[in-house]
Amino acid sequence: MNMKVLVVSRSGREIIKGGVELKETAIVSDLNRAIHHRMRKYYPSRQRLTLPLQPGSQGKPVVLDPRKKVREYFRGNEEKLTVVLKDLGAQVSYKTLFFWEYLGPLIIYPIFYYYPAIYEYIGYTGERIIHPAQTYAMYYWCFHYFKRIMETFFIHRFSHATSPLSNVFRNCAYYWSFGAYIAYFVNHPLYTPVSDLQMKVGFGFGLLCQVANFYCHILLRNLRGPSGEGGYQIPQGFLFNLVTCANYTTEIYQWLGFNIATQTVAGYVFLVVAASIMTNWALAKHRRLKKGAKGSKNILDSFQISDLVYHLSM
Amino acid sequence: MAFTYIPTSQNPRVSGETVDLATMASFLSTVRRVYLTIYNWMVFVGWFQVLYLALRTLYETDYTHVYHAVEKPLQLAQTAAVLEILHGLVGLVRSPVTATLPQIGSRLYVTWGILWSFPETRTHVLVSSLVISWSITEIIRYSFFGLKEALGFAPSWLLWLRYSTFFIFYPTGITSEVGLIYIALPYIKASDKYCIRMPNKWNYAFDYFYAAIVALGIYFPGGLHMYLYMIGQRKKALSKSGKKD
Repeated sequence: MNMKVLVVSRSGREIIKGGVELKETAIVSDLNRAIHHRMRKYYPSRQRLTLPLQPGSQGKPVVLDPRKKVREYFRGNEEKLTVVLKDLGAQVSYKTLFFWEYLGPLIIYPIFYYYPAIYEYIGYTGERIIHPAQTYAMYYWCFHYFKRIMETFFIHRFSHATSPLSNVFRNCAYYWSFGAYIAYFVNHPLYTPVSDLQMKVGFGFGLLCQVANFYCHILLRNLRGPSGEGGYQIPQGFLFNLVTCANYTTEIYQWLGFNIATQTVAGYVFLVVAASIMTNWALAKHRRLKKGAKGSKNILDSFQISDLVYHLSM
Repeated sequence: MAFTYIPTSQNPRVSGETVDLATMASFLSTVRRVYLTIYNWMVFVGWFQVLYLALRTLYETDYTHVYHAVEKPLQLAQTAAVLEILHGLVGLVRSPVTATLPQIGSRLYVTWGILWSFPETRTHVLVSSLVISWSITEIIRYSFFGLKEALGFAPSWLLWLRYSTFFIFYPTGITSEVGLIYIALPYIKASDKYCIRMPNKWNYAFDYFYAAIVALGIYFPGGLHMYLYMIGQRKKALSKSGKKD
């Protein structure tokens, strides 16, 4: 026994002539594959499938869960199901996105350190004395982005989620231009270093946070199976007992350490922007986990401290 | 839990006060309307003054005197628009901050950062096209909102004007803005105004000349984006009113 699914665009136009036939037991990801089979352009991660909105009804349409049975979305005695297909545009894996994001700063920063000719070109002539802080900063910076690229390939376990190709350009513009902006000031011939003690405290604290950040990523890795299964679980242990997203917390403090040691306005601007972006992610993740943990009192209890932290910080 | 917000109407301890809350809510909405009515009409008067003074100066003397004639009301009316960003932020009006901030920010930049800061630009003919484009747009816009807040509706011809005049005055206004920034460039470069130079303790440098070039670079894609945004708004607003009739 087969069932029939009609695939329409958001304006109601039929996208696949005659719809697709599926086995009675098919799940939504089978439907994704069937659509891909008929239209080679729309590979599964590019498709967003929703139920059509009833005319006059308000609110968001129901998004089809790839793991659920298609049959569950049939209403009453419907003979065939109609789904709305939205093209999400070209998609890339998170590995690809992260790699290009981090490669830029890793290459751009040392250019400013090793080629002071850049500064001569815009009018700063004369002898350039390299302060120890500038050298340490260069190694610290490169270590940081090297670590992030290595983690992308060898530590992180990604879900099957993808990112639109346009995000690659947007995120690269963000990381690359901020990298250049900070590198310009830290490696400037007229750079003024902070005291030796402040520099050591800053870099020391920052390195400690990077190690802690690495450990957080190991803990997050263990929440998922090798192929990304396991979904979204509540991380526990180490700093995760204090805040929901200890990985972001350590990342933010790691940049604070860099800024204490190098002391540039550019670096602090980046810190504020990065911290606000990560705070938004953390709040979203916190909400998502809390929603998923509904009905389990013990898990909710473990959120109280971080709840407090969030409410106080708002 | 101590920090969780419980809507008072659902809180059993104070449910007896819900009637008072309803009166309170309608009182607050009246205060909001009165305030927005006064605000819109006051700024309207400012822009009306700008247009009147500009036209009178052009008629009586010539364009080199326009800036001097309109300076005070122009600065006042344009700076008062900062409140509009705040109105959006606190939820007093529905217009999104992402739309008002670039619009008002660029206007403030030209008003204070170019015309006020670099007097050499004030006698240019573009000042006339600038203030006429701005003031006509704003006279229509503020009277539209002023009527809407005061009466609850605005005449359809005003709605049409509100969503149609930008076809002409947006390009003329933005061309004048870009032109005036461009004219100011050599004066900005020659002066050290608003520049911060290294070395300093916070390792910071700011060059107003390069900032102006960046601003010019943003104007082209930004202006096009806003123009398309307003065409979208026009479609929405005019089709909505058409349905009602």
